[in-house]
Amino acid sequence: MTDTPKSDGGVARRQKQPFGLPRWVMGVVPIVLLVLLVGGFVMTTPLAGLQTGEPLPDVGISQTSLPNDHTIRLQVTNNAPEPITISQVRIDEANWGFSISGSDNTLAPRESATIDIPYNWMEGYDYDVGLIAADGTTFPVTIEAAQLTTGLTGQVVGTLAFVGFLIGVVPIALGMLWFPFMQSMSEKWLNAVLAFSAGVLGFLVFDAGFDVFESAGDVPSVFSGPMIAVLGIAGSWLVLQAIMDWRNDGEESRLSIAYSAGLAIGLHNLAEGLAIGTAFATGRSALGVFLIIGFMIHNVSEGPVVVAPLADGKRPALRHFVALGLLAGAPAILGGWIGSLSQSPLLSTLFLAIGIGALLQVVVDIVDMVRRSGSIRSAPNMLGFAIGLVFMYGTSLIAG
Amino acid sequence: MPSMNEDDAASMTEQLENRLVDSIEDHEGVSRRSVLGGLALAGGSAITGIGAAQSGNESGGNATSGHDASFGTPGKYTEKNFDPHGYLREFNTGDSTNKRDAIFGKKDDLNAGVSEENGQTVREFNLIAVPQEIEIAPGVTFPSWTYNGQVPAPTLRVEEGDLIRINFTNAFADMAHTIHPHVQNLNPAMDGVPQNGPGAIKPGETFTYEWQARPAGTHLYHCHMLPLKAHIHRGMYGTIIIDPKPEKVRENPRDYIDYHGPITDEVREMAVERAKSRNMISHADYVPDGYDDIDEMVMMMNGFDTNFDADNEVYAANTRAFAYAPATTHKYEGEWEGGKTKHPIEIKKNNLQRVHVIQTLEYDFVNSFHTHSQFFDYYDAGTTLFPNRSTIDTVMMCQAQRGLFEIDYSDHQPGLYMFHGHQSEFAEQGWMSFFEVTE
Repeated sequence: MTDTPKSDGGVARRQKQPFGLPRWVMGVVPIVLLVLLVGGFVMTTPLAGLQTGEPLPDVGISQTSLPNDHTIRLQVTNNAPEPITISQVRIDEANWGFSISGSDNTLAPRESATIDIPYNWMEGYDYDVGLIAADGTTFPVTIEAAQLTTGLTGQVVGTLAFVGFLIGVVPIALGMLWFPFMQSMSEKWLNAVLAFSAGVLGFLVFDAGFDVFESAGDVPSVFSGPMIAVLGIAGSWLVLQAIMDWRNDGEESRLSIAYSAGLAIGLHNLAEGLAIGTAFATGRSALGVFLIIGFMIHNVSEGPVVVAPLADGKRPALRHFVALGLLAGAPAILGGWIGSLSQSPLLSTLFLAIGIGALLQVVVDIVDMVRRSGSIRSAPNMLGFAIGLVFMYGTSLIAG
Repeated sequence: MPSMNEDDAASMTEQLENRLVDSIEDHEGVSRRSVLGGLALAGGSAITGIGAAQSGNESGGNATSGHDASFGTPGKYTEKNFDPHGYLREFNTGDSTNKRDAIFGKKDDLNAGVSEENGQTVREFNLIAVPQEIEIAPGVTFPSWTYNGQVPAPTLRVEEGDLIRINFTNAFADMAHTIHPHVQNLNPAMDGVPQNGPGAIKPGETFTYEWQARPAGTHLYHCHMLPLKAHIHRGMYGTIIIDPKPEKVRENPRDYIDYHGPITDEVREMAVERAKSRNMISHADYVPDGYDDIDEMVMMMNGFDTNFDADNEVYAANTRAFAYAPATTHKYEGEWEGGKTKHPIEIKKNNLQRVHVIQTLEYDFVNSFHTHSQFFDYYDAGTTLFPNRSTIDTVMMCQAQRGLFEIDYSDHQPGLYMFHGHQSEFAEQGWMSFFEVTE
């Protein structure tokens, strides 16, 4: 620690402003000018000569579901800046009756609606569903291998809680049982374990990273899914980093790294739960015993990741372990419920992105921690990191 | 069956129930409750049918009740610029005795007069090319290019040997058009193609086409401007009906009979009678025995590619999807409730139906015409007076192919009889219609 303050404490460096005007005036002047400029632009419409045609109509079908054997349901959003009227619906090149939630068939810009089509669909078949707007524009979507969408029933709540518990809380708790063993390790090998943790997290960053941009593609274009992903990743990383640095003081920093690792893994598991819940709700659940076992093995490595930062020091109170386990594992249950309820690509994208940001932040902190206690590029560390990556890849093959 | 009010039906059912209960009540061991209970079971489906139909109506155009009722295009037509029912039986002969102005509620001077020139009857028409938005399915409009603001274009009806004179004006702001007739036109300048005679008629220009009315039959006229697919698909097509002239038939019966054996006087006179029966729109005094009640109509089988991907989204006879279909059909006994803009074609069972069918579908190779529970006689291009094919219920037609269909429902029970294109895709996207046969 030096005596030099890191910050200037928010004291203005220079009071004098041009023409002797007060400081606040000079701060406000550009804003006033901007308002005048925008106002003038809107009033005079100097680009009227460049106006070529109307914007193209754009209706996004964000979700299709089959709530019973005689209904096909679509979630639609008007992505265009103009209202649009849905006049007809067709299934496999046949006109069909339908009803739209809300007062009429016209969707305002950004308005979403639910369209129900009474149709006796058959399991396993593909269905080409299309909306026809008042001007004849069509918006198609294909339902592949039709299966009943279960929705969130009491049984589903229970099943998802059980599945979430099995693949979230249980493996992490098991993984945390390595804590006493890790405490007995030399610093060199403990660093290797930390590097292994970073490898695990690094794998999850890429794993979720590909998923988030796939999910972002399903977000109605008006919300710019890929940018939500980017903002979510960057935002959660930066916010978490700021929080960590702000309360970075001594021994507690290890606990706070553990908690942030727990939070990161928790967010990751929330997104994992979302995926499971959505699969459940849309009838795509192939959650067999084998898959659950795969997830358990896959996730067991998340346990040591959470407690590894604590191994090199005093053992914190046991309640911290319980809290860390729940923080990292329980969100899988919550995610399952949210996923089966909302089936929203927007929410999935957002949660996944936040999770990735958190994972990145923990990787950076772990790397810092290892660097402080020795060379980051030692052979055990490199090997630990690589094993982390490969271990996750291997178990992800089992988990599908 | 003439539509019966739901309330009337309900009260009649109640009366019948009460009468039955009263008549049985005197019998020992039979309670009123058991009788009504049995009725409720037996009538369950009928009662459900009524309920479903009512809830379907209350919820407006969109919602549908039962699964069966959800087929078709929900909603009603709201734009009045074209009425397939009015178009069906509208024949323009050049004079002012037709019902055009009454049907379309606007005077466009289509029928410009009938006169004599050099011993030839001249039938004169004013056709004008204008763009027009037309509602082709409930709530779905299509930016059509039209003759006289309608798709299909007005039906022109003349007699064999007449001169057809078309004063054509192109009222488009930015696009050239032509009119090409499917008749034996003897003058290349009048062929209505961009390469011949006046060529493309430019925006604001006027040109007078003159065509000889031959041969007798059901023919087609359409714009031949390039790109051809676009100009036809957008709606620039109509029907020319050339009625056979009885005197010409008597002189040269072979021209009208697809038959190579001897032509007896009997066959000759039969042909003349048939020619007269074809000619009754122009000449009411021709009516021969046995043909006194002929109901003639025109159906142009067409379709619309609403999103311009060279694949049709809407199919129809006369432009509007399901225009001749019942708006709602009950689940019992085929009774239907007509919408104001979607309802079957009402015909009298003892009238012979003569339908001029013209295939103008673009983007699909063939179309077809199929009648339910019924067979018909088919005259290809309408150029012969005896059928080319008898007793068929389905005929396949290529683009621009057309023909006469003569259909007789006199021995059928009154009720709804479907007819449609027998490509399921076409039928389910609008080319499905009904005759409602009445006494």
